[in-house]
Amino acid sequence: MNLVNVSSSPHLHEQVNVRRVMWTVVIALLPALIAAYLFFGWRSILITILGVVAAVGTEALVQFLTKRPITISDGSAVVTGMLLAFNLPPLTPWWIPVVGSIFAITIGKQIFGGLGYNPVNPALLGRAFLMASWPIQMTTGWATKLANAGVATVSGLKQTLITGGNAQLQNLITSATPLNLAQQIRGDIVAGTAGDSARTIFHQLSSLDYIKELFWGNIGGCIGEVSAAALILGAAILVYKHYIEWRIPIGYIGTVAFLSWMVGGIDGLFSGPILFHIFSGGLILGAFFMATDMVTSPVTKNGRLIFGIGCGLLTVVIRTWGGYPEGVSYSILIMNIATPLIDKLTPQKTFGYRKKSNK
Amino acid sequence: MKAIQEFTKGIIKENPVFVMALGLCPVLAVSTSVQNAIGMGAAATFVLVCSNIFISLLKNFIPSKVRIPCYILVIASFVTIVDMAMEAYVPPLHKSLGIFIPLIVVNCIILGRAEAFASKNGVFKSMLDGLGMGVGFMLAIIVIASIREFLGVGTILDIRILPASYKPMIAAILPPGAFITIGLLMGLLSILQNKKKSKA
Amino acid sequence: MKDFIRPTLVLLIICVISGAILAFIYQQTAPLIAENKLKAEEAARRLVLPDAEFFKPVSDSSEVLYYEGYSADSTLVGYIFSCVQYGYSSDVKTIVGLTPELMISAITVVSQAETPGLGANCTKDDFTAQFTGKNPDNIYVDKDGGDIQSLTGATITTRAVTNAIRDAFQKLQDRL
Repeated sequence: MNLVNVSSSPHLHEQVNVRRVMWTVVIALLPALIAAYLFFGWRSILITILGVVAAVGTEALVQFLTKRPITISDGSAVVTGMLLAFNLPPLTPWWIPVVGSIFAITIGKQIFGGLGYNPVNPALLGRAFLMASWPIQMTTGWATKLANAGVATVSGLKQTLITGGNAQLQNLITSATPLNLAQQIRGDIVAGTAGDSARTIFHQLSSLDYIKELFWGNIGGCIGEVSAAALILGAAILVYKHYIEWRIPIGYIGTVAFLSWMVGGIDGLFSGPILFHIFSGGLILGAFFMATDMVTSPVTKNGRLIFGIGCGLLTVVIRTWGGYPEGVSYSILIMNIATPLIDKLTPQKTFGYRKKSNK
Repeated sequence: MKAIQEFTKGIIKENPVFVMALGLCPVLAVSTSVQNAIGMGAAATFVLVCSNIFISLLKNFIPSKVRIPCYILVIASFVTIVDMAMEAYVPPLHKSLGIFIPLIVVNCIILGRAEAFASKNGVFKSMLDGLGMGVGFMLAIIVIASIREFLGVGTILDIRILPASYKPMIAAILPPGAFITIGLLMGLLSILQNKKKSKA
Repeated sequence: MKDFIRPTLVLLIICVISGAILAFIYQQTAPLIAENKLKAEEAARRLVLPDAEFFKPVSDSSEVLYYEGYSADSTLVGYIFSCVQYGYSSDVKTIVGLTPELMISAITVVSQAETPGLGANCTKDDFTAQFTGKNPDNIYVDKDGGDIQSLTGATITTRAVTNAIRDAFQKLQDRL
């Protein structure tokens, strides 16, 4: 019997542990889920629940089979399932979040030894896997609400302009998220195949009225990424609790803002729509909830800043010149892999450390 | 070592792909379908057996200074023969294997066996060694291809296994699927071997 | 001196022998390979112009521009040309058959290495069948306002096929 437990220091503990952090993250994600329900209906909640149940179930099963302690109550699998579902289109088939969560937990996390040993964010790995496997199911089924003002008018307008007004109505469901649209129009303009009217649309996308829609989330997009307002509310909780610190999200968003202003426009350098790039796509979700994952981001302060800037750089590169309209998830995955290197190259000075004098 | 063991060791215990991790490039690249895997495995086995026999025959004739160029010449000749024969007699297979037939020349299993085995052993043993390694290579690539074709297309050897309503997991036949499959199989094999060792 | 001559000689002998063997095998297989290629091309031509019995190449000073297809009684039943354009990850080569009225009779994609499950579906009949009966001068992908339905998730491949046909046709148009 172990009556006297003698442990090494520290002997005083603050009540912060994995369990508490993870469940706080779950709470912080709830506003975005409510927003998703308001914009896309009950289906977005169903997809999220499926993702969470599959993630937790897989974690329990794998740990049971490998005879390791079952740690599903720490909430990390819940977070993974939620984040994965948040990265899916609302109309995606029901088995997509299930398969994605199973892959994320087994291949992304448990195979490396469980929480703390995963080299990349499991939810994002799951998304990348789904994207490579079922690109059709992952890139269609965006908006349930066809009356969804922003998307409908803008993409309808684009279709009218390019085809001269007599073509069949563009199928809204397979059509775009705002980013998708912006990339297409910008591509057409750069290639010289679009008329002046395309410019009008592009400017309309970056108008203040449209930015408002983007901010509240009245747009097409993945379940959890549409409402910047709800995400920022949730992120505020985490920042207030000091569970995430400013360097990664600010470095990330700041870099995206600067670079998309520089190269993302249609009127030459430094004409890009900054706010459009910040509030569209998964940037807010990625910068606050996924790039800040403690396991897969650097521990040093400078390292975190470099990590954020790297994510931002890759995101803008993919958005502007890549084959996909959105680059948040891939850029975070790539920077996840670079994390050990960043940590190694940005050592912190130990207390009392003195620079070696030059001989 | 008994002659028969020279053959069997290549299949599991010293499997060139799973245990020695040699020749991974063709394994990853052409294991998208079982048919390709069989074609690639057979072509590599043929080259491996022939080059082992010839190098073992010539081992006293080839000066050690120029042995590597000599091995490469022998191997490249056989590969070219296979390449031309395939293009003449089985053009569809040749088309789908594409660049990977000429690349058998640089498959490190073949040069590796020439250097490590055939140049030190007799003709009969070298032939068995080549055959064993070739079969081991072929088995590995067929196992990987079966998994990838099954998941990524829903068929095996073009015979539909999963119902047509199955939405194929395209990632399985893309490069990442190859890496994940081979990693999981290597892990599985090493778990099994560790268990065997701890029992013994 | 001696340890330099022997290796050289051995290498030379092996080179000569393997060269000789390869030359012999090449002689044996070369006609077969050439015949296979011709057969494959012929099969593709028959596929896009089924009425034709034999084909006559029409060439510029240097290269074959297109083929004329004739029925058994030597009446012209159509033209065949090939075209190629870079798609998403590879050159997509298409062979196109035209009726004498210069409408598409059929197309077939003969070589491509696009993404399996997406762009690679461009070889399927469901996709190629929609070109039949269209005017090659005026085909566009639906995303560009035309009526060629793009492959799901593979607009770039569809565009490569469609635009290659249109461009090649427009270049040939005056000669047909």
